[in-house]
Amino acid sequence: MINELMIIIFAPLVAGVIAWALDIKILREILGLCGSAVPLALLLRLYNESINYSFTIGGFTLQFQLSTLTWYFAVIASLVGLAMAFGMTSTSKSSYDWLFALMSYTGVLGVFLSADFVGFFLFWELMTFASFMMVLKRNKHESLKYFVLSVIGAYAMLIAIGMLYAKTGALDFATIRQILYIDASMGTITKGETVMIFALFLTAFGVKAGSVPLHVWAPGAYSENDQSYTAFFSGALSKAGAYGFFLIYLLMAYKLYAELGTFHGHLTFAYIIAWIGAITVVVAGFLAVLQEDIRKLFAYSSVSQVGYILLALGLGTALGFSGALFHVLSHAVFKGLFWLVTAAIILQTGKTQFKDMGGLAEKMPFTFAMGLIAVLSLAGIPPMAGFASKWLIYEAAISAHMPLVAGSIFLGSGIAFAYVVRFLYAVWFGQRPSDLEDVREAPLPLLVGMTLLAIPNLVFGIAPGLVTGYINKILGGEVVGGDYYKLVTPTGTYNALLVTIALTIGLAIAGLIYLYGARARKIPVTNTYQSGNPVTEEFNLSIRKNFYKPLAEALDFWLKYSWDRFYERLAGIIEDLADSLRQSFYNGNVQSYSWYLAIVLLILALWGVL
Amino acid sequence: MFDWKLILEVIGMLIYATFVGFIFMGIERKAMARIQRRVGPPIYQPIIDTLKLLGKKESVSHGFIYDFGPIFALGASIAALLFIPIANFQLFSANADLIVVAYLLEVPMLGIMLGAMSSGNPYSAVGVQRGLLTMVAMQLPYGLALIAIIQHWGTFKLNELVSLQQAHGWSILVPALFVAMIVFDIVFQAMLGLEPFDIVSAPAEISMGPMVEYGGKHAALLFTQHAVQLFAETAFFAVIFLGGASNLLELLIKQIAVLFIAIFVASIYPRFTIDQAAKFFWKWPTILGIIAVLLTV
Repeated sequence: MINELMIIIFAPLVAGVIAWALDIKILREILGLCGSAVPLALLLRLYNESINYSFTIGGFTLQFQLSTLTWYFAVIASLVGLAMAFGMTSTSKSSYDWLFALMSYTGVLGVFLSADFVGFFLFWELMTFASFMMVLKRNKHESLKYFVLSVIGAYAMLIAIGMLYAKTGALDFATIRQILYIDASMGTITKGETVMIFALFLTAFGVKAGSVPLHVWAPGAYSENDQSYTAFFSGALSKAGAYGFFLIYLLMAYKLYAELGTFHGHLTFAYIIAWIGAITVVVAGFLAVLQEDIRKLFAYSSVSQVGYILLALGLGTALGFSGALFHVLSHAVFKGLFWLVTAAIILQTGKTQFKDMGGLAEKMPFTFAMGLIAVLSLAGIPPMAGFASKWLIYEAAISAHMPLVAGSIFLGSGIAFAYVVRFLYAVWFGQRPSDLEDVREAPLPLLVGMTLLAIPNLVFGIAPGLVTGYINKILGGEVVGGDYYKLVTPTGTYNALLVTIALTIGLAIAGLIYLYGARARKIPVTNTYQSGNPVTEEFNLSIRKNFYKPLAEALDFWLKYSWDRFYERLAGIIEDLADSLRQSFYNGNVQSYSWYLAIVLLILALWGVL
Repeated sequence: MFDWKLILEVIGMLIYATFVGFIFMGIERKAMARIQRRVGPPIYQPIIDTLKLLGKKESVSHGFIYDFGPIFALGASIAALLFIPIANFQLFSANADLIVVAYLLEVPMLGIMLGAMSSGNPYSAVGVQRGLLTMVAMQLPYGLALIAIIQHWGTFKLNELVSLQQAHGWSILVPALFVAMIVFDIVFQAMLGLEPFDIVSAPAEISMGPMVEYGGKHAALLFTQHAVQLFAETAFFAVIFLGGASNLLELLIKQIAVLFIAIFVASIYPRFTIDQAAKFFWKWPTILGIIAVLLTV
């Protein structure tokens, strides 16, 4: 019998290949849906089970493991994957998309379930390749940017794995972990090598997680894509980077602690990760606020939110891990939801710029409701899943005595508030452009996908204890106490149910006051106070462009600098240099070619070869 | 089954807070008027205004979200109020966490913004933009002030904060927390929407910003919301910096003291433009905030 883990990992890929080969319209979608549903169903059945599996191929033994940690990541990925499949049923028209979307799904599951570096690296590359192909089809320049950074990440990881293998002679996580643990006291691996491995892993996982300054691929790759796929790309694939940071902890924490020591009472290596996270949160957040394209806004927002995960990981406390793991879940569900909403908007209107949209809430009420849930969750409004995880990160950061890092979370959530409201205003409210009059509600499969992701936002918001209970199991101890509805940390407490009840009481009282008042008469958008100016349909009453211009003015000093432009310029300089080298050497002059030959011969002669 | 005492307390506290909040609004107007050498309206004027608005025969609406916005705002304000330990009434504050309350105090803003945006009025839109930018700007010093408090007392729980302060003296007697209090007080001005940070409503520029479209019962809801919010925020200030209170009178005195500082500051300073406000918040309050958190690490 084939092992369950293999079915989980390869079901999407097999379905994708068959769908691609057959390329029959309805069959393709059905196959894709089945292929995406299988991993989720199997994983849910394997709840609380631990499975090890290995097979040998070409001299390498590939090991796979289902443990509490890997189950958690895999089930989140497969939930988002299923939602993606529902979304793609509506948005994708080609079997090419299905093949590569499902291939990257397999890659992600493989990364999470691998228990050694061979499988990890192979699936990592499969995932990168498939997602690269998705971008390549739509935008060559952006795909190239993604490709170059991914290659840098891949090489960094390969060298790091090679170094680890050379030093420990093992490729599976358990052995490496053990050897490094013992080596922490022996010190066979020098400080320089440890730092080198750490830096290489940081680069490799930092690229995937989109941490500043390696985030530049994310806005392009997330936006130049099928938006249903982006739900998976940003919701699950970026989590592979976060998972990589977990791996650093799992494998190297003691060794790094032994070599690098502490800095003002914090683990030095963790402190670096925390600051990378904090900078990512703030920089990407500010960039998100200033975007004029709905896809770019969410792309930067996604980068910023993954920054929270890194930040929480970098705290290095059990509470920090708990917050990071919870945020992995809540980011996956709210950002996946956001991208499906975006997919619906783009599918139904064909527009991507904020300036072309407005007043869609009346036309797409269900999508609007879903978007509102995602907004509330991302902005961290209690009681939503996004708040519970953010609250844990707040508690962890402040209890870990990293005040400035914690300050950046405050700033980051203020910024998050600002950009989601920008999205609400520009897309759903205000005056509707005349060419959007006949927009209809999104198709059913997309709505199903959205509902699939909206439910966890509410359920885990009101009962966050369900998640923290499981996380306690992963971390092997009572990190966050309480029951289903109540989270208790050593210094604080959050009772989600009580907040819900208090809000309900408040809403009931306010609703009663509202009902007591006279009946309201509905009037159109144009019938508003305009300082006495008569307003007709031709007037544009919505601020569609440069909504946050004052912020851009306040930040103009900082906005002069951009990593993206820096890299572009660097690439330009290298290109020019190579070009001038080419032109000066390959100048088409036979005489100079004979000179090169003579010089080479001379060097060889001097070297003693000839 | 039901905890009748708690239910009675909740009802009583809501009535008290709304009434006192309205009186605070009246005091605000009266004090401003006296500083500007006007007579000013009677202190109970806001109550009369609200009742009048509620009694209007007709009101207009721009759709569901437009109605929902003010309701959500008032609901969230009430929820925030229930989590603050008010004098000897504990309400839900056994479960009150500083971060949760700080968030709940910001939620009403989202409600107002939602309603304002759905009206489609450009003045509202400008108000929303300004409101959010003010929030982004003030968030960093605000957060730093709260972090300083938590680091010094080592707890997130509001009722523990109160009992710790009653045992060891008020927060502001600690030098680092006094710095934090200054930061918080500057931010407080923006939270209450008073000068120099009344950029959001800016009556003479954008006709009350988010509130421009609201009339009738919607406006009455927003007035009530403002009253509850005013009460909750001043109580929050008193709880975290002024040692809470053991009875309502003590709390009232502290709240009025906080309110008068805000009024005096407001009547002296003119309004910032929004980018000036952002630059200001990211300069002095942030520097002071960083000093405060570093002193309490």
